[in-house]
Amino acid sequence: MNAQIIGQMAVSGALMGLVYALIAYGFQLTFATSKSINFGQGELVMISAFFSLTLTNLGFPYWAMVPGGLLFGALMGLVVERAGVRLALEQKSEGWILLSIIIGLFFFSAAENIWGRDDRPFPTPISADPIHILGVDVTRLELSVAVGVFAIMGLIELFKRRTLLGKAFEAVSADRDAAELMGISSTRTVMLSYGLSGSVAALAGILVSPITTVGPTMASALILKAFSVAVVAGLDSGFGVVLVGMFLGALESLASFYLGSGWREAPGLILLILALALRPNGVFGKATIRKV
Amino acid sequence: MKRILLLRGAELVVFAFLATIPLLVVNPYALGLLTLLAIYGILLIGLDVTVGYLGQVNLAHVAFLGLGAYAAGLVVTKLGLGMVPALLAATLVGLVLGGLLALPALRLEGPQFALATLSFAALSTTALNELEALTGGAQGLSLSRPPILGHALTPPLFYWLCMVLLAVVWMLMRNLLASQWGRAFEALRDSPIATDAMGVGTYKHKVAAFALGSSLGGLAGGLYAFNFQYLQPQSFTYDLMIILLLGVVLGGRKSLWGAFVGATVIVLLPNLLSNRLLFQIFSGLGFAGALAAGVQGLVKKTTRPFQALAPVVAMGLLVVGGLFVENTEDWRKAIFALMLFSVVVGLPEGIMGFLALFLAKLFRVPHAPLPEPADLDTLLPVRPADGSALLVLDDLKRYFGGVKAVDGLTMTVRAGTIHGLIGPNGSGKSTVVNVISGLYTPTAGTMQLRGVPLPIGSLYSVAQAGVARTFQNLQLFGELTALENVLVALKGVYRNPLPMVLLGLARREERAAQAQALALLELIGLREQALVKAKDLTYGAQRFLEIARALARKPDLLILDEPAAGLAHPDVLQQIEFIQRIHQRGITIILIEHHMDVVSELCDTVTVLDGGRIIAEGTPDEVKRHPKVVEAYLGQPPQPELPGGAEPLPA
Amino acid sequence: MFRQTLCGLLLVAASGAQAADTVKIALTGPFSGGSAPMGTSARDGSKLAIAEINAAGGIQVGSKKMKIEVIERDDEAKNERGALIAQELAAMSDLSGVIGTVNTGVCLAGDKHLQEKGITKIICPAAGSASMTQWSKAGVKDNSIFRFAAYDGIQAAMVVEEAINRKFTKVAVVFDSTNYGVSGRDDMLEQIKKQGNKLEVVAQEKFNIGDKDMTAQLLRAKSAGAQAILIWAIGPELAAVSNGEAKIGMKAPLIGGWTLSMSNYIDNAGKNGNGTLMPQTFIEEAITPKAKSFIDGYHKAYKVDRIPSAVAAAQGYDALYILAAAVKQAGSTDTKKIKEALEDLKEPVKGVIATWSHPYTKWDPADVTTHEAFRREQVVMGMVKDGRVVFGNDADRARLIKSATTVTPAKTSKTKKK
Repeated sequence: MNAQIIGQMAVSGALMGLVYALIAYGFQLTFATSKSINFGQGELVMISAFFSLTLTNLGFPYWAMVPGGLLFGALMGLVVERAGVRLALEQKSEGWILLSIIIGLFFFSAAENIWGRDDRPFPTPISADPIHILGVDVTRLELSVAVGVFAIMGLIELFKRRTLLGKAFEAVSADRDAAELMGISSTRTVMLSYGLSGSVAALAGILVSPITTVGPTMASALILKAFSVAVVAGLDSGFGVVLVGMFLGALESLASFYLGSGWREAPGLILLILALALRPNGVFGKATIRKV
Repeated sequence: MKRILLLRGAELVVFAFLATIPLLVVNPYALGLLTLLAIYGILLIGLDVTVGYLGQVNLAHVAFLGLGAYAAGLVVTKLGLGMVPALLAATLVGLVLGGLLALPALRLEGPQFALATLSFAALSTTALNELEALTGGAQGLSLSRPPILGHALTPPLFYWLCMVLLAVVWMLMRNLLASQWGRAFEALRDSPIATDAMGVGTYKHKVAAFALGSSLGGLAGGLYAFNFQYLQPQSFTYDLMIILLLGVVLGGRKSLWGAFVGATVIVLLPNLLSNRLLFQIFSGLGFAGALAAGVQGLVKKTTRPFQALAPVVAMGLLVVGGLFVENTEDWRKAIFALMLFSVVVGLPEGIMGFLALFLAKLFRVPHAPLPEPADLDTLLPVRPADGSALLVLDDLKRYFGGVKAVDGLTMTVRAGTIHGLIGPNGSGKSTVVNVISGLYTPTAGTMQLRGVPLPIGSLYSVAQAGVARTFQNLQLFGELTALENVLVALKGVYRNPLPMVLLGLARREERAAQAQALALLELIGLREQALVKAKDLTYGAQRFLEIARALARKPDLLILDEPAAGLAHPDVLQQIEFIQRIHQRGITIILIEHHMDVVSELCDTVTVLDGGRIIAEGTPDEVKRHPKVVEAYLGQPPQPELPGGAEPLPA
Repeated sequence: MFRQTLCGLLLVAASGAQAADTVKIALTGPFSGGSAPMGTSARDGSKLAIAEINAAGGIQVGSKKMKIEVIERDDEAKNERGALIAQELAAMSDLSGVIGTVNTGVCLAGDKHLQEKGITKIICPAAGSASMTQWSKAGVKDNSIFRFAAYDGIQAAMVVEEAINRKFTKVAVVFDSTNYGVSGRDDMLEQIKKQGNKLEVVAQEKFNIGDKDMTAQLLRAKSAGAQAILIWAIGPELAAVSNGEAKIGMKAPLIGGWTLSMSNYIDNAGKNGNGTLMPQTFIEEAITPKAKSFIDGYHKAYKVDRIPSAVAAAQGYDALYILAAAVKQAGSTDTKKIKEALEDLKEPVKGVIATWSHPYTKWDPADVTTHEAFRREQVVMGMVKDGRVVFGNDADRARLIKSATTVTPAKTSKTKKK
């Protein structure tokens, strides 16, 4: 019984952790090119999910709704980049932190007024009935999250390595100034990264909504976890976010089972502060040599 | 003097006005808002220490507000003590926990620091929520406002108490931030490496800054508790934290006035926006202001098109939307967001940053006159050049993985000489400097300064031992003036203890320090630019300033890391002259340089490195003719003069 | 100049736009954020009533008819905002009354400002016990705060009673970490003791707002052998509990506070919600003509096909009619006179939940129910069935239809003591 419970807790926690990982991956994409992250990413997850819900309600089938949602997410990502991030980056100021928060606040309020304040179910053709694998109950919905997360991360990594545009992306991430000298527009690459990051956020919304429902506040808890995962893993390690995300998810589940649900987050938070103190660039981040 | 009077006058007028409001207006709501304004003023001044001066996104401040509030609440409800001990306890909780949090967070910067502080905030909310026996958990803690010195605190009295505390905090912080401490905080933000290398402990100052800011958060928390008289853990979460951050940046960082203006905006605006009439007035005025500023900016080409147009569009959206939307209360958050957006885009330096420029133009108040420069001979007395061994390196090694950057270096630097260290790119010169100055720990080998082992692996300790350095890639404190850059590094002047500084009793010391710093600036020809921000100086002047700053350490050994890199020819000549002046005062110098002419002109001894090893040593002339040196520089062995000459050595 | 402007601003802010000949009523509550479905439903219910009253020319106050003017304030479910709003309202000289507040914490932080000034407030639909017991604990002699909600005492008693009636012996108590959830837990535990300890609490589980994975809590309850889950929480997390049960193959039914009837629970739990039981003051079912006109009116006015929280909307609607009746009886817009009238309403008020006859009596610090409108008999057990809330048992249904059409017997403060 006990081993089974631990297994059950770890698996369902880790699957939730994959959603943290996906949102964290969105942070990494923009950090790579511009050293900035969108503090309003949670609102991007939320409005993209609402938009996809509207598409579904309009009668679009699932396979058409998903690309539609991703496109919308990319568009909103571009809005954040244009309105909030670009000016601050040009001025080399930290204004992007505040502007991305402010734009998020606006999205939140707009969503409340457009789609209402209530949480709503998100219809999906994927069944929510549990299946038993090795004594652990998992729903197909939860498995679909895993499939979606790995699929989009794989696609984007492939894109970065195999296409010309993707290589430009990598070049700007590695050295912005050198890339500019080689004729790669860093502004366009930053735009691209915000677009991709928006799509990733949208996918996170579409994947998680059938489990958690859609509502204006749906992402507020998720986003802080995702931020933790991104920083602990290291802001440059796509592989790291997956591991750290699953680990944190499982840890939370187990902590909530053994310590009581109120203390659910405490072990994760303490580990997080320790991990940062020991490895400031993240567990999987590259250590940098201080040069002067 | 006029400037000081004007500034103090403005403070007096505003505080006097705020203090008389309860006598003029008998409106409990207005009084409630103003009380909260005073509390948030203290809170934001505390936050500004970390966000503005240290330049770090601190997301734990709201936790100190909460912990302070609970500390005060528990002291009153559980221990039955009065208001004064409660407020003291609240401040102390902030101070101690802030100091503790600073320890692991010390090594972190940017997003990592933000996350560490965020985690602390989440942990403290969890603890307040779960420790039900103590805090009442989610059901909250009700308390009443105890009397102070036997007087019951009516709302106006409580308001005055908050105002008095704000004024006291204001005064203390003003003194502190204008002192060596405030400069050290700012230096930390611009370059932690240089701060350490100038012998100003980043450790001590970071902990101090964080603990100080947090203690103000705690104090504000105590007042918060007595203001609302009901506490719940979920009041102190991320949502509020974001609003606080917005307040600091909106108001303008690194400014007491900025914190106060920020507090005004975040306290008043959301509450006033509920009133439709006020909303329409604000949006109309905002639109007109944005339009005027935008058109002016575009015509004069002082702002980018986006910066000029975005606020106009945002405010226009508000004005138009206000006509169509039936219920503005539903859209309050969006309205707040649009207004903040306009301010942040239009005024990147914050409201006070903008007003300060504007007022400076309006009044044209000159800066307080600087003292006369101190006498250079007392400041840097000429030392005898006895030629004894000052720095001895023995078999020094530093490897990076498989790369042997420095591979067995044995070298003696004699007192009173200029010792050149040259070599082609990648020969290990900079690594040597970084090992000596404590940035890197040596892999093996020993270093002795005057026969005493040199501390290893700590910039700060090496600086304290009497070694000062400059940086090849400039590490100036960009936001500080040239004068302040030198003041930060100045050794042996600041002796007054912290309480004296807080009370503003260290002015005499400050004048003495300024005189010394000016003397050093004069030595390198920057006296006229003493009040220019380092980032606004010309490149040449920045290089010179690095040297003046290092001199402020009054060092035994001065290491100049490629001081002529990137300089134009006239500047190089000047540079040579400055270095000679310094040399005349008997200061030993290690000069890392590419320019052969600079080296020949200045150095007594030259050591040539290649591949981490010494290939030649001697006077400049000897070295110049050394075959290995020629080979290393030209990439090929010198033409053999005799058939069957020396084998080419491996590079 | 600056000084005049600031004073001006503060005055304008404090007094609002002046308009003579209206009855000013403030509606407050969380209109944004997580508690917004309840806050906006209650507000919109009240506004529906106001629209009806104004369309009929207004309230008869003395010799003239006065229309109702609404002042809306969003407290964002934040105590701090709530306290400031209360101060703002308390400073208004011509305010007749306040209706609103969902979050118990906001009541605790703000209502004292209203009470000090004697401003009449009807709390609706917040149900946390502390929002009224704070006045009895403080021994307040004269109280201007009323409540119009099935208070937790009644609800918890019904929940425990229902669990006992259904022959459960082992239960898990599950609650969210808000003030509402935690005080609900305390009420339920107290009721279990009061009703003879017939239920054994095998697990006490808590979750946070925003938690969507309840596996840990449920597994603990399951392994402890819980047959039913007594639950007290706000919002959509409730659905996560039902869905989590389905996932781990647990069959214990949910019995809990009225929030289980909110559409965000019913819709999101889907078929996993079937069989869930909760006390109800109003069920979105057109069982009477009054209910039908209310439901249709709401759907039409706010362009929705279901009310986010029908209970909150109906309570908001009835609370406004009761306040309006008090204004009429007082013949004045003076909030203190309205309070007097409210404590002794002569004419029954026909509402959508019931016909309210003498809902409140003179405040007695020893008896909170003097300022509570709801009695046990106005609350029924509702059950979720195929995406709707239906009556848990038909006897209740019949009784409600009757009480909505006939006048409930007037109560006296003496006999209602618990």
